[in-house]
Amino acid sequence: MKKKDLHVILFLILAAAVLLKGTHIRSVEEYYRTHIDDITPESETVFISIRCNTVLNNRDKLNPALQSDEFVPPDGVILQKSEYVLREGDTAFDMLERAVRANRIQMEYQGGNLNVYNSVYVQGINYLYEFSCGPLSGWMYLVNGVFPNYGSSKYTLCDGDTVEWVYTCDLGCDVGCEWMEGG
Amino acid sequence: MDLFRVENLTFSYPQAEKKALDGVSLTIKSGEFAVLCGQSGCGKTTLLKMLKRELSPHGVRQGNVRYNGTELGDLDERSAACEIGFVMQNPENQVVTDKVWHELAFGPESMGLATDVIRRRVGEMASFFGIQAWFRGNTGELSGGQKQLLNLASVMVMQPKVLILDEPTSQLDPIAASDFITTLGKLNRELGLTIILAEHRLEEVFPAADKVLVMEEGKVLLCGLPREIGRQLRAISPKHPMLAGLPSAVRIFSGLNIDDACPLTVKDGRRFLSAHFTGAIDRVEIPEYTHSQIIAAEMKNVWFRYGRDLPDVLRGVSFTVYQGESFCVLGGNGTGKTTALNVLAGLNQAYRGKIVIGGKKIKEYKGNELYRHNIALLPQNPQTVFLKNNVREDFDEICKVMEYSAAERDALIAEIAVQLGIAHLTDKHPYDLSGGEQQKCALAKMLLLKPKILLLDEPTKGIDAFAKQTLSGILRGLKAQGITVIIVTHDVEFACENSDRCALFFDGEIVSADTPNSFFAENNFYTSSANRISRHIYKNAVTCDEVIELCKRNYEAAHEQ
Amino acid sequence: MRAFESVHPAAAFAYFISVLLVAMFTAHPVLLCEALLGAVLFCAILSAKGFWKNMASYVPLFAIIALSNPLFSHNGVTMLFFLNGNPVTLEAVLYGADIAVMLIAVIYWFQCYSFVMTSDKFLYLFGKAIPKLSLVLSMALRFIPLFKAQLIRVNRAQKAMGLYSGKSFTDKLRSAGRVLLALITWSLENAVETGDSMRARGYGLHGRSHFALFRFTGRDGVLLGISAALTGLTLTGRALGGADFAFYPRITGISTAPLSLAVYLAFGALTLLPFIIETEESLKWTYFVSKI
Repeated sequence: MKKKDLHVILFLILAAAVLLKGTHIRSVEEYYRTHIDDITPESETVFISIRCNTVLNNRDKLNPALQSDEFVPPDGVILQKSEYVLREGDTAFDMLERAVRANRIQMEYQGGNLNVYNSVYVQGINYLYEFSCGPLSGWMYLVNGVFPNYGSSKYTLCDGDTVEWVYTCDLGCDVGCEWMEGG
Repeated sequence: MDLFRVENLTFSYPQAEKKALDGVSLTIKSGEFAVLCGQSGCGKTTLLKMLKRELSPHGVRQGNVRYNGTELGDLDERSAACEIGFVMQNPENQVVTDKVWHELAFGPESMGLATDVIRRRVGEMASFFGIQAWFRGNTGELSGGQKQLLNLASVMVMQPKVLILDEPTSQLDPIAASDFITTLGKLNRELGLTIILAEHRLEEVFPAADKVLVMEEGKVLLCGLPREIGRQLRAISPKHPMLAGLPSAVRIFSGLNIDDACPLTVKDGRRFLSAHFTGAIDRVEIPEYTHSQIIAAEMKNVWFRYGRDLPDVLRGVSFTVYQGESFCVLGGNGTGKTTALNVLAGLNQAYRGKIVIGGKKIKEYKGNELYRHNIALLPQNPQTVFLKNNVREDFDEICKVMEYSAAERDALIAEIAVQLGIAHLTDKHPYDLSGGEQQKCALAKMLLLKPKILLLDEPTKGIDAFAKQTLSGILRGLKAQGITVIIVTHDVEFACENSDRCALFFDGEIVSADTPNSFFAENNFYTSSANRISRHIYKNAVTCDEVIELCKRNYEAAHEQ
Repeated sequence: MRAFESVHPAAAFAYFISVLLVAMFTAHPVLLCEALLGAVLFCAILSAKGFWKNMASYVPLFAIIALSNPLFSHNGVTMLFFLNGNPVTLEAVLYGADIAVMLIAVIYWFQCYSFVMTSDKFLYLFGKAIPKLSLVLSMALRFIPLFKAQLIRVNRAQKAMGLYSGKSFTDKLRSAGRVLLALITWSLENAVETGDSMRARGYGLHGRSHFALFRFTGRDGVLLGISAALTGLTLTGRALGGADFAFYPRITGISTAPLSLAVYLAFGALTLLPFIIETEESLKWTYFVSKI
């Protein structure tokens, strides 16, 4: 009797979770068949790249399941520096999402409503997750060579900005982030 | 050798006006089986507790208690705890732990014995008391009789020199009580154990006892051989209330004033009657049984079980109780008597059959209607009836529920208090009352409901002979008021005296119902001691008074010729 | 009486702890399946009656856990479809199933645990360290059913007077409170008598000893030794990487290297130990009976 109740409750929670999240199901092909704006002379653009060079120096710390060129390219470049059209109000995160979708790169993030910073947190790109390469590892981003001290979904980009997503294995020290060292 | 010597012991509880013990002197010899009897409140329990140092109450005391020649207070802790064993009244509350084996080991553990010694002692005791079958069981699952046996065994495992028992059988059914007394007799006979037993159920204790002490108001009234007690009591007063508590054979003997040795057992009683009386008149005249035409309560082919997969407890119970009648249901333990009562009171629902109360089917009563001026059930344990801090508050509450006006309430409570003789008890906390007093107060609470039918579940459990007589008086009064009374009981003697009809409950149904005199006269085993003593001469005498009356009439008839 | 029930509490406790420790801290499907199999077989022998009924109730639990994991975890290279912009991957589903197997195996092991390690065995184990606590626990275990029974009796008695049986919820709550208050008085009253009974039996004397029915026999020693050896083997093999397995991002194959096989074998033997003991016992009995 009690076990039954437990199941009913679990089921209800699950159903509620599904309903709250809304259900919009798409096939894989459908999802990646996304429209990328063509670059015209008058369109504003930004540059974006995704790199994980630091991992190459820390292979010993890397999760054994990721020890493959498929997940860590030999040159450490997941996305070459490429140019994309900037839409009105685009943030660093929006840009990332559009770029990985266009290039069929896997990416997982935690929505801004789920953490205390009220900003999206990028957990993993191309199966390379936070903590995948030691306890101090994770994804960070630079705009025009500077590490902004706030979330990527709060950073609105301007025309001609360069966004770099880099993977750190040492809380930013190995990618030249200075403020992380102090804090 | 004197094991216990009590000299001029006087004791009073703090803030009590009356002395609980007043100049008590007695000696208990080693190997003796001494029985202490007296009405409840006479100081039996206090005296027994004075003999066990750990339990001695606080208060003002004079005089001394010597154990084996040493003042009890000077005895070293270990011998005081281990050599004097004490078994109390309530089987439930004395059990400390959850497993039977752990309970047995509790005393030896306190003594600090080694595991191997404990193992041997526990094994020995479990074998002696026949506990092996439930040795690894939970204490909570035992019957009352088994619990009390376990309490006895867990005292005996400490190998005491003397065993003190305070009304150990009062909460047990007759069969368990008789087993318990038999075990005590065995301990006394086979191990030479000294036993001091306070008891009000004396039928089986008397033949085993070496010495009987009768207490009254804190004093030892009499001290003598069991055979002498009846005569001595009679000498003090022919209507002494303690006489009612003596075994039937002793009561018949002392009622007849014949110069012979006093019989103690049924066997002796039969021999005594045969030797002195004839059966020329062999029947008591019983007024013919009549009953009102109105049916108060009726069960027709009622079936009940506690759960879908459990066995039937009631298997087609059918009986009819007429208005103003008092109806006794007798039967052994676990036959379903109490269940039948609960079903009748609407506490359990029968799954088949018809129950009619006051001309209306029980299912047609809505809400609490059944309990408003219709039916009231006095449960086995009167403590469960009280929830407040004193009896009066409980009474007031029920009057409020019954929507009596203040004047009506006060008049009713006063009337019932006088009728039941509880006026002096209403300010006390229910738990401070004795068993008999609790019973009366609980009954009073039931009567405030002004029921037409009163159901009593084991009303004589835990009360002494005198309280039983008082209860009989109260029941007669209720009958005179026209209240229908249905009693479920083990107590054959009580049923004889208090019923218009008796019924035997067996195997989930009522197997026979008849007037007490024909009911018990036809039963061979399940009948009163007085009937068993006299049945070879007299056809239908069931109470001691009836036997005495027949004997006297025969005696007179023989002497007229 | 099952053979495993007569095992010394220390040996039984050590056995359960080692199985649970391994099962709870691994995600290796082979080890978890072994844990589940061992637990199910053990449980089936211990409580043959309600077993199948019980088992049926775990199917939905399994499905729920297995299917809810992909909603929260989007790692994995084999994407099946996208749900609200997030991929549902085969790896996540399989990992969910794996966790479900672990959870059900652990539940089954706990069921066996509670069946074998009855309160007296538990008290025996921990009573030695804290004798007072063990007595208090034992008294509590004695008191709870007593209290319950009295509660039922009081409620019935009050109901038969037409009291405390109001239909509304607040009425019920209030009357329950009053009954409880009265029952506390009752308990205190009884506790006095229980205390008397304890003192009358020498409680408080200096140098109390501790008695238990259990005896550590050679058989228990053998069992303890075997389970320690098998656990040691499993843990060492695991530490050396014999039980490595990853679901994300791509499921690694089940390793068939000698070291891994040794770990599977050791843990399999450990989980099947009770089943083997019980089967051996029952075979012995059929043999005895056939000889008579």
